[in-house]
This record gives sequence, C-alpha cells and structure tokens, in this order.
Amino acid sequence: MLRAGYQLLNHSPLGAAKTGSNNFALEFVRWRRKPRWLPVAKSKVFRVPERKKQPEEERAELMRLHNHYKTQLRSVRQFLRAEVVRHEETSTADHIVLTPEQEEAEYQLCIAENAAWNAKIASERELRLAKEREEKVAYVQERLDAGKLREELRRERASEHIRHEIEQSKTFITRSNLDEAIETALANPVDHNFAIDMAGAMYKGRTTQSLGSSA
Amino acid sequence: MPSYELALVLRQLPRPELIGVIRRTAEAIFDKGGIIRKFENLGTRALPHKVSEHGVVHREATHFTIAFDTAPTKIADLKEEFGRDIDIIRRHIFKVEDPVEHKCTLHEEMLPPAYRKDVQEIIEIAKRKQKPKYNYNSGLDYYPFQK
Repeated sequence: MLRAGYQLLNHSPLGAAKTGSNNFALEFVRWRRKPRWLPVAKSKVFRVPERKKQPEEERAELMRLHNHYKTQLRSVRQFLRAEVVRHEETSTADHIVLTPEQEEAEYQLCIAENAAWNAKIASERELRLAKEREEKVAYVQERLDAGKLREELRRERASEHIRHEIEQSKTFITRSNLDEAIETALANPVDHNFAIDMAGAMYKGRTTQSLGSSA
Repeated sequence: MPSYELALVLRQLPRPELIGVIRRTAEAIFDKGGIIRKFENLGTRALPHKVSEHGVVHREATHFTIAFDTAPTKIADLKEEFGRDIDIIRRHIFKVEDPVEHKCTLHEEMLPPAYRKDVQEIIEIAKRKQKPKYNYNSGLDYYPFQK
C-alpha cells in the first residue's frame, strides 16, 4: 500500500497544489485510498458528481468514426454470408439423396464389414484365452508341486527333529535320577569362558593361568 | 515345548542345603509338566557387586544353570515361584534359540574396494544414474540441449 511518489509521472494539478509548484519533489502517500470494504463517507453519500460535458464537434467526429466502422464491418459480414450460401448451393458434398435400396445396401455392407472384424478379433481372443488358460494350468500345477515338495521337506525335518529328541531323551533327568544328576553336576563344575589369540588358539578357563602355561 | 535355560544365582549354602535348593527348583519344573535336560554348575564365586535380596546382602554366590523344556504358559508361574525362594538371589529364564547359520565372509571383505562385490554394485548403480553426456565434436555448431 505504500506508494512513494506515484504522482510524480502524472502531473496532476492536485499533486502540484499539494507540494507547491515543485514537480520534482517527492510526495509520500501512505494510503492511496481507503480500503475497499469501507462505505462511502457520510459527507459524500448524497453528492452527485457533475456530468462531464463533451464538445459538440468531438461527439460528431466520434459518431462519424463509429458509423464508418459499423458500415465496413456489416459489408464484410454480408459478403462472407453470401459466399457461404453460394458454396452450399454449388457443392454436392452434403445433400446426395440415396434411394432406400442404396441405403439398405450400404447398411448391409457396413454390417458385413463389422461382422468380419468381429470374427477376426474373436479368433484372436480364442487363441489368447487358450494360451492364458494353459499358462494358468501350468502355474497352478507348478505351485502344487512346489507345495508338495515343501510339505515333504517339512515332514522330513520334523521327523529328523523328533528322532534327535528321542535320542536326547535318554540323557534327560527324571525324578528317579534327580539326586544322582545334582551330585554329578556339583562334582563337575563347568567353565565356558575362553580367550583366543591372534593365531586362533583357544585358552579355556576363566583365569589366565592356562594362557601363561601354554605360551 | 520350547527349550529354556534357567540361570540361577544361589545363596552361599552348605552342600546338603544347596542340593535341597536345586532339588526344589527341579521339582517345581517337574510339577509344571516340564522336562529337565541338563544341570550345569558354574561354581561359587564372588559377585560382581554386592546384592541385596530378601533382606540379606550377598557378596558371594553359587552359579547354576538348568536346561529344561516346558510350556510357555508355565514360565510366569515358574518365575513367580523362584522369586519367592529365599535361597535364590537372581533367576532368569532364557529361551534357547537355534544357532544362526552364517558363512564367514571375512576373506571377501578384506579385498581392496574395487574387487568387492557390494562396491561393484554401487558403482554400477552410479553409472546407471549418470546422464548421457553430449559430445562436442559431433559436427553440430550449437549445443542441442537445454543448458
């Protein structure tokens, strides 16, 4: 909204009056006008602006120019319209009148053409659908076989697991040999700690004593 | 039934009482329909820090593990039962996982970057992303693309 010196170029008498006669001076106008949503000022509500008087000769000149322009345009339009009418009368493109027999023949021709196209597309479609059906059958068969194989593998793995567990169950601890097992465990403390050196040698045991002895 | 491993830290006790604690624990597993696979005694050692449990401060303890199988629904009960035993300082139940199979690729990783497969893949991707470059000596006397 801040327009600085916007009146500098249109040397209005008002601006000149406000700033004295110095046209070079900048006039700072903070608000160009009041916002659009404000109503007309109370003091200006009943003001009727004075109608500007047009000189008689200017009005006559404008009228002359206007008439001139309208006449020219009308003549061009009439010429074009006449041309179109002439063209329509002379050309035979649009209004060839067919006899009912001819029309029927043309219709039959179109029907035949359409039927031929349909037959061609139908044969193509038959081929395509047959191929797709075959592919689908092959795919399903493949998936079924894969599933069967998967199931077999799973069963094999499960039975292997069961066999392993049955083998392991011989060493399971039961209520009957519980005391024995506890005694054995307490008698044989185990140690899972180990150290490893750059050569990959393993030194078992929690303490580093074995390291010193083997080095 | 999945396999679990119970790691116990037991109060320092004379041998008969120690046997009693372990038997109690084992019986609890049996009572819940479990199977015990193995006992392991990891020895009596000083704890890494003093532990206050059941109102007593412990500085040394016996470490003991029990490998067992039981229903997963019984684990919470077992934990609760072991938590009430005043001779058990710490108890943790771990699920035994199948060992992860992995191949040693250290030899490939130690190769110079240009020979590594992953680096080669990255170079291939970068090449694919490169825009085709205009050759200036191709006879045209102007640049045909937008600069």
